[in-house]
Amino acid sequence: MRGIGAQEAKGFWADAWDRVRRRPGAMLGMAWIAVMGFFAVFAPLIANAHPIRLERLGAEGQVLSVEWPLLAYLSPTDWLLMIATAFGVPWVFFGAGRLGRSGRIGVLIGLTMQAGATIVLAALLIWAAEGSGIESLERLTRLESGPWPLVLASAIIAAVVAIAVPIAAPLARRIGPILGAAALGFVLSWLAGGQSLVNHEQVILDEAAGKVRATWTLIPWSSQYTRSDMVGIPPGTRVADWEKTASFKGTPFGERRVLLGTDAIGGDVLGQMLWACRLSISIGLVSTGISVVLGVTIGALMGFFGGWVDLLLYRVVEIFMSVPTLFVLIVAAGVLPRNTYVMMAIIGFFSWTGAARFTRAEFLKLRKMDFVQAAQAAGLPVRAVLFRHMLPNGITPVLVDASFAIAAAITIEATLSFLGLGPDGQASWGKLLSSATAATGTFVWWLAVFPGLAIFLSVLSYNMLGEAMRDAIDPKLRKAAH
Amino acid sequence: MATYLLRRLLLMIPTVLGITLMVFLLVALAPGGIGAGLAVQGGQMSDTSKVAQMQAYLEDRYGLNDNVFVQYARWLGRVSPLKFGTTPLVAPTGDLVREPRDLPEPVMTWAFPAPAAFVVQYTVPSGDALIEDFKRLQREAEGTRRTYVGSVRGMKDALADHVRALGAPWTARLEPKGGADPERFRDLSLDGDAPTLVKLRSAAAAMHASWTEAEASRQRATIAFLARPYPAAGFEIIPNAFSLGAPDFGVAFSRNRPVWDLIATALPVTILINFIAFPIIYLVAVPTGVLASVRRGGAFDVISGLMFLLLYSVPVVLTGVFAIGFLANNQYLGWFPVSGLHDSAAATMTFMPYTDVAGTWHRGWLLDMVWHLALPVLCLVYAGFAVLSKQTRAAMLENFSSDYVRTARAKGVPSRDVIISHVLRNSLLPLITMFVGIFPAMLGGSVVVERIFTIPGMGSLVIEAINLRDRELILANTFMISSVSLLALLLADILYALCDPRVAYD
Amino acid sequence: MAAHDTIATTASQPVEPLMSVEDLAVSFDNGSGPRIQAVAGVSMSVYPRQTLAVVGESGCGKSVTAMSSMQLIPRPPGRFDSGRIMFEGRNLLELPEREMLKVRGGKIAMIFQEPMTSLNPVYTIGDQIMEAVLLHQAVSPDEAARIAIKAMADVGIRDPEGRMRAYPHQFSGGMRQRVMIAMALACRPSLLLADEPTTALDVTIQKQILELLRGLQQSTGMGMMLITHNLGVVAENADVVCCMYAGRVVEYAPVTELFDRPLHPYTRGLFRCIPGLSELRNRLVTVEEVVTDPREYQGLRSEAGPVVPWWPFMDQSQRPSLDDPSRPYALVEVSPNRWVGCWRTPEVARHPSRPPRIAPA
Repeated sequence: MRGIGAQEAKGFWADAWDRVRRRPGAMLGMAWIAVMGFFAVFAPLIANAHPIRLERLGAEGQVLSVEWPLLAYLSPTDWLLMIATAFGVPWVFFGAGRLGRSGRIGVLIGLTMQAGATIVLAALLIWAAEGSGIESLERLTRLESGPWPLVLASAIIAAVVAIAVPIAAPLARRIGPILGAAALGFVLSWLAGGQSLVNHEQVILDEAAGKVRATWTLIPWSSQYTRSDMVGIPPGTRVADWEKTASFKGTPFGERRVLLGTDAIGGDVLGQMLWACRLSISIGLVSTGISVVLGVTIGALMGFFGGWVDLLLYRVVEIFMSVPTLFVLIVAAGVLPRNTYVMMAIIGFFSWTGAARFTRAEFLKLRKMDFVQAAQAAGLPVRAVLFRHMLPNGITPVLVDASFAIAAAITIEATLSFLGLGPDGQASWGKLLSSATAATGTFVWWLAVFPGLAIFLSVLSYNMLGEAMRDAIDPKLRKAAH
Repeated sequence: MATYLLRRLLLMIPTVLGITLMVFLLVALAPGGIGAGLAVQGGQMSDTSKVAQMQAYLEDRYGLNDNVFVQYARWLGRVSPLKFGTTPLVAPTGDLVREPRDLPEPVMTWAFPAPAAFVVQYTVPSGDALIEDFKRLQREAEGTRRTYVGSVRGMKDALADHVRALGAPWTARLEPKGGADPERFRDLSLDGDAPTLVKLRSAAAAMHASWTEAEASRQRATIAFLARPYPAAGFEIIPNAFSLGAPDFGVAFSRNRPVWDLIATALPVTILINFIAFPIIYLVAVPTGVLASVRRGGAFDVISGLMFLLLYSVPVVLTGVFAIGFLANNQYLGWFPVSGLHDSAAATMTFMPYTDVAGTWHRGWLLDMVWHLALPVLCLVYAGFAVLSKQTRAAMLENFSSDYVRTARAKGVPSRDVIISHVLRNSLLPLITMFVGIFPAMLGGSVVVERIFTIPGMGSLVIEAINLRDRELILANTFMISSVSLLALLLADILYALCDPRVAYD
Repeated sequence: MAAHDTIATTASQPVEPLMSVEDLAVSFDNGSGPRIQAVAGVSMSVYPRQTLAVVGESGCGKSVTAMSSMQLIPRPPGRFDSGRIMFEGRNLLELPEREMLKVRGGKIAMIFQEPMTSLNPVYTIGDQIMEAVLLHQAVSPDEAARIAIKAMADVGIRDPEGRMRAYPHQFSGGMRQRVMIAMALACRPSLLLADEPTTALDVTIQKQILELLRGLQQSTGMGMMLITHNLGVVAENADVVCCMYAGRVVEYAPVTELFDRPLHPYTRGLFRCIPGLSELRNRLVTVEEVVTDPREYQGLRSEAGPVVPWWPFMDQSQRPSLDDPSRPYALVEVSPNRWVGCWRTPEVARHPSRPPRIAPA
């Protein structure tokens, strides 16, 4: 039964992918997205104010104790992302077996989501036990470890849900990986710290005084770490050459170069830019995911049922279309808590109309097609007709448009952050950009150029990818291109 | 056509209602509510009791303790031309006046008995002096009322402080946000001389004192109000239930000015910017799209497509910062002004540029504005180029292969005429439809542009309103922007009807 | 096939053809693949007052031939490889665009298959007819309007003055086709190319339109090239039939002779698949059954001796030996006024036939 749509879709997508691959613009775009994704995952290892290894030295230079502040600092989600990327991506590309590459991507995403769900669930349970409410939402990214029974309970719940997900593979083949993901989620949320055990400023002073020996990450600033004596350092400057920090001359700290300069409160621009990859990538993907799910569901309902359902829901679509979305987004972001998840939700909530209209149009067409009528005539339930027969065929334009939607979401995030309505305490390209023209009236070019370039390249990458996909898939445009 | 227009106008009502309700819910349900902005302001206010007083006044004024839908209905009752609720009256000066409201009851009367009721005697002057007198008394009544409402709030805060000082189990009766409902503490003994109790007693004394003063003011204002019956503003359908009248957007508390005044100065600026930007977009994008379609696959087609895709990928904020930084800032080129709509000396300028006797050239008011608007308009237009020229190109290509173009060629129409009067003429229709997609986005974009270039338009106004959580201002802004957007879309529809004879609006 | 050899013969004809297509070959660029040869070696001619019916299945090159004579083939991807189309002593294929504009609509008019989409939806009927008139006749707009009204009246549109201001969507399909005809004939062209003018219409309207065309042809004396795949239409309207297949002319003959005695297996196949009313058949015969029968290709004679009808899918073993493998096809006059597309054997190459010309009696 699945065959009608799925079979056709697969050959169709493989064909489309071949066309996309022939476009250099699309490939460059994907390369940039991959680079961003890499930094999004590994930013905590690359740019961090916590030393990897810290040796406390005695008076004669003997090692008193050894600490690993970075490992203590990494949160369960950091660990999960890094583990999934480090092992999963090579497996997807070079692994062999019956699954095929798209199957492996599905497994990787599924298992990562299951382990992630364990972590999130554990966090929620721990807060429920503590009695702290929605204010803790931002802590999802910086989870502290909790009591193991709660963590175990979350792991079990997530695993049961994963088993219950209705996909074709038999349970016997799925149970092993699911238990593995549950174990990973459990270990990470039980053990991983997310704690900041050292005072960076003190470590730097101690290092200068020879009291400690520290092994730093590539960029020893994290997104949150600022120094009031290092405000507005131009790119490429050595710390010791900066007037206010000249006292560090000769120390490891003083010899470092501030590659892309510092911002108006003394944070490292490059470090923040790497961390901001996380925000951009995740907001782009999650908010588009929300809008696609929302839009496809509503569009499918409109297209399939027609009549008054269509009439009523289309009024809602029209309301969203005729209103300046950015304006309402600004209002929403302004009055709601400044929080990553809230931002993802509102961007998703205000941008589903495109997906809904595409799906509606496709479903209106599909509803009259023979295979759908045959499925209905065969007495299949509405759910099966909708999701098994119509969805795989009707979702193509939505998926093509998703690339543009991600680009738009990244733009909106940058805009809102620029206006000071972005998530609190998160590094963001838009936020850096807004500090380029400070209230003092001076223009700090490196705060405009580097983050600006990053925003531009990301948006361009997704747009070029979308353009290539649209050309590859839209038969009407393909004909016109000849 | 007329019925169609009427139907479209009627359909706009639910749209506007939907969007304002959405924003209303957002503002009302957001943590902190209206008070959040005041807390920000309170950071600069030395006297925290003043913040509480202001907050309490606002809660009273907007009825923030009511159900959110009741609040929305109240707002709607004021804004919609068909008003529900008591009919406002209009003074000869044109101001809307209402009978002074009754005061809320003092709280904790079981412990601190309310002052006895009293009746104030007041003789109102006659003639025009009455109006002046009433306005003065009304201001006074508002002020004393506000002080009194604030003192009630102060009383509740003092009670909450006392309860906190007592600790468990009393604290369990506090509200989640930490406030104290006096009715739940009837059995609380108030004997003793703990410092919090002393404060509570003085709060009660202050409450009573301000009640007496407010009540006296209220009675005087009421006498003055009743001395001459003011005519009802608007047209009463059912007295004190339904009436027709002009929209009343209320007063922006952050600036203490009527919201309509603020919008009346800001909206024309935003509309001006958009109405400069739109012709530019169409003038650049349509010819580009036409040329690209005529030379399909040629160098111009490829290069313009690529260039517009690049431009399309540049966020407005980025262009804005770069334009301000490199083109306007004196550190670099400094060719353009950094902010504003006019030079500070614009009021004294002549309209057109001229050269005076000394040979000095003056740019005049008009050029000054063009000079100030150049960068903002630049930021607003370029993103539209890609969208529109791509659409033009696609529409042209579709029409090029259509049968009626073949017919025109077979008639012997020269290819230039075929392109312009047949292909382009038909491609105009989707371009008008495109307006529907672009215009709301442009309005949103102009919010950002105005913010970047500190132009006193709707964008600057709304961001200020958001930062201060000025609900009236946010709602009125949303209402106006949505209305402008909807009217523009209606305009596009009419234009479409004029251009496409196939459309019959009946 | 040399057109020059036949000049002497044509000169002896009493009337000159209005338009003659000679050895036309048109091909299209196909992106990465080899060029698509739409037509090759096509010849035909139309005389004044004569109706030449061009028949054949979709994609056989009928429309390409007509469009070529108007230079309406988009170039690129299209290209004229060889041949010429003579009209009033000039080769239409080589006319510069400026000259061509005067021919199109002025001297040669064309009507198309899709009346529903062939009129511009945003202009009134009057505007569209007047556009043609103003382009080709030096008249004032008022005069043009008068001509347009008369043209509309000629094609049987009632209340032409009022209908001038109507838009195409207010007309039915048959009425739109009448408008198309009025537009085509408003400038009194000497040749009308009608590209399946009745295919999209229902049968009663078809009949009306064809009768209208025939009547107008009688009154104006124009020649007409009627492109169709409907043999019934051919039988009732045509004087001469040109049957095409795969970009070649397979048979060219006066209509009565062709219907009485088709010579090419493909033509025979076409006629055999038409079920007669009085016949009682178990099943219909397909064209394939006829053209794949080797016996069908035997026994055809011409002045040059025995010839074998050309068929692109004929087995290598059954094909005769060719004079030049790069030019396998020739249109041979097998008997007076009967032309059949044949394999170009050395005998055929030695006795070139005259190009197909059937003057009206």
